[in-house]
Amino acid sequence: MDDVVKLAFDIAAFASIMVLVVSGLAVIASLMGIFNLGHGEFVLLGAYTVYLFREWGLPIWLGMLVAPFVVGAFGAAVERSVIRRLYAQPIIAMLATYAIGLIIREIVRGLIGGQYYAIEEPIPGSFSVGGLSFSIWRTVIIVSTLGVMVAAWLFLTRSATGLQIRGALENPALARASGVSTDRLYALTFALGAALAGLAGALMVPLFSLSADLGVRFLVQAFLSVMLGGVGSFEGPLLGAAMIGSMVPGFQWLREIPGVGGAVSPVVAEVLVFVTALVIVKFRPNGLINSGRR
Amino acid sequence: MTNPTTRRGFLRGGAALAAAGWTAGAGGWVLRPDWANAQAGAIKVGIATDITGAIAPSGNANWQTAQFAVKAINDAGGILGRPIELFLEDTASDPGVAVGNVRRLIQQSEVDVVLGGITSAMREAIKNPITQRGRTLYIYPQLYEGQECTPHLFCTGPTPAQQCARLIPYLIKEKGFKRFAMPSANYIWPQLLNKWARKVIEENGGEVVMEDYFPLDQLEYSATISRIMSENVDHIFNTVIPPGLQAFQKQLFEAGYYDKGGQTCVYFDENTVNYVAPRELEGVYSCLDMFHTIDDPTTKALIEGYNAMWPGTPYQFTAGSASTGMYRGIKLYEQAVIATNGDLARDAVSEAMNSAAIAEGPGGPAKVIAGTGHVEMNMYIAQSVGGKWEIISSESAVPPQECA
Repeated sequence: MDDVVKLAFDIAAFASIMVLVVSGLAVIASLMGIFNLGHGEFVLLGAYTVYLFREWGLPIWLGMLVAPFVVGAFGAAVERSVIRRLYAQPIIAMLATYAIGLIIREIVRGLIGGQYYAIEEPIPGSFSVGGLSFSIWRTVIIVSTLGVMVAAWLFLTRSATGLQIRGALENPALARASGVSTDRLYALTFALGAALAGLAGALMVPLFSLSADLGVRFLVQAFLSVMLGGVGSFEGPLLGAAMIGSMVPGFQWLREIPGVGGAVSPVVAEVLVFVTALVIVKFRPNGLINSGRR
Repeated sequence: MTNPTTRRGFLRGGAALAAAGWTAGAGGWVLRPDWANAQAGAIKVGIATDITGAIAPSGNANWQTAQFAVKAINDAGGILGRPIELFLEDTASDPGVAVGNVRRLIQQSEVDVVLGGITSAMREAIKNPITQRGRTLYIYPQLYEGQECTPHLFCTGPTPAQQCARLIPYLIKEKGFKRFAMPSANYIWPQLLNKWARKVIEENGGEVVMEDYFPLDQLEYSATISRIMSENVDHIFNTVIPPGLQAFQKQLFEAGYYDKGGQTCVYFDENTVNYVAPRELEGVYSCLDMFHTIDDPTTKALIEGYNAMWPGTPYQFTAGSASTGMYRGIKLYEQAVIATNGDLARDAVSEAMNSAAIAEGPGGPAKVIAGTGHVEMNMYIAQSVGGKWEIISSESAVPPQECA
């Protein structure tokens, strides 16, 4: 029983990180039809903001609060200057985001001197319930992810702006004819996606460490999540992310089953995540949820 | 943060930027001796170490140590009147990047000897470009798994026999640890060291409960740590390295293991605080050829000199980060060149290295065991208590037991 609780917690923690990372990607991919290959670097910028706050002697938690706004503003600037010229050419837009990502990554690499930096959690340590100990920071991440996802979902489905965003997606010409500024909405959506990436980077950096390649290692898994979940909706990729995020620690736990342990080394477990995801995509090429908004 | 207004900070930042591909003609740094006419007849020493990347804190300590050792030699008149000129190439914690950069040391800078490489993966990648294609002497400064008997390659860090032959029996017999876990990074050092350590553990009545290999940059260790907790492991023989190390130690701490059992990591030292939080070092055992806490005037003077040359540096002069091996390597090379009477030809120096010895060095004297390419040195068992490495025991002139 203890093992099951522990397993559930570990899976929830890692899945939350994946969901946070993917949410920003999903917002932009699903609502704007643009695959933001620079998403990993938006995550990196969130983490870097926290690092800067620490360097300036400001509280780390403040950096975490500010990071989504900084990265959101940066995203808005990117949209205004580059992305908005490329809505008609999604492939070129994708390449542009890749280039932007590369520029950000190499600038950050230069700024931190190619080093790795450990960032402390604002609330370190663990608490125990019934003899089991749980990391406080991982709990914070799980709770924040739930909160942010509910807020994003309410915003998109219940608010007037959310309705406009969905409307502008469905039929941009009609939306414009009805007096909706699609320009403004796209900028807002891109900024929202970037802000979510910034938040993901800021919250997860204490679990790992800050390096220029922080975003890269999540990007591949994030795209796999989007493929797995399906592009049309906001929920689909998040479900995909939750699945990928569960598989990463989940397959490690497979090794606890007697007889399997020897066959699944940690290295094999990492590969298994990709194999499983690709098999699912093979049988559901449009993703798990493909009836969403189009 | 690097302070770009000092020359030193500029050099460090510059090297990092160069390594990140930011400065044109990215590549090495040359540190010329500041004597008049020193250029004529300078001895060219190449340093290939990890200035950037996951183990940069160790690599930067190595580079600072090399400059410290060379400055002392040059200030005292050089080797037989000839100054040493230092050439740095960044190996970037990435063997793929390293090979090209190391080749530059040999082909463009035409160095007389290369010192460097920290992980065994790095040594494996650069040893052939240096010793075979490059026909150059190579000195590898880090503790490692043993069995490196390549000609013209000298290992100046400790071997498994030096690090573990007394430590493991001590842990089992004196401390009562019985059930060992071996979480490891998936490369040659952990694999061969674990094989060696497992034998010693079993001979002394201990038991290895689990031995797991992870990708070097794994982020998630919950399953392994949970098993460590549920299998009642009472000692972890840790060979995880950065960048996976940070996540591993944090998750191990958060799981509450530190209240339950002990841990050994034979590369942990005073420099490890650059990788993991001090709380995650508490109680950890290590066995190395030098700790800052040993009672040896030479060692104390060296550390003081290093800290005076690099005030405020986060990168300490330590054993587990290969700095003692780096210092020893440069001093042994100096002795060898004196013995050849200034002949820098590889075969001649290599031959002279076989009988090179230094009476004083970090941790004590050191002597190359002829024909083995390894070094006899003093070893110290220590435990990290409240941020200090408390010495438990020491042994003089421990033989490397390699390539005999």
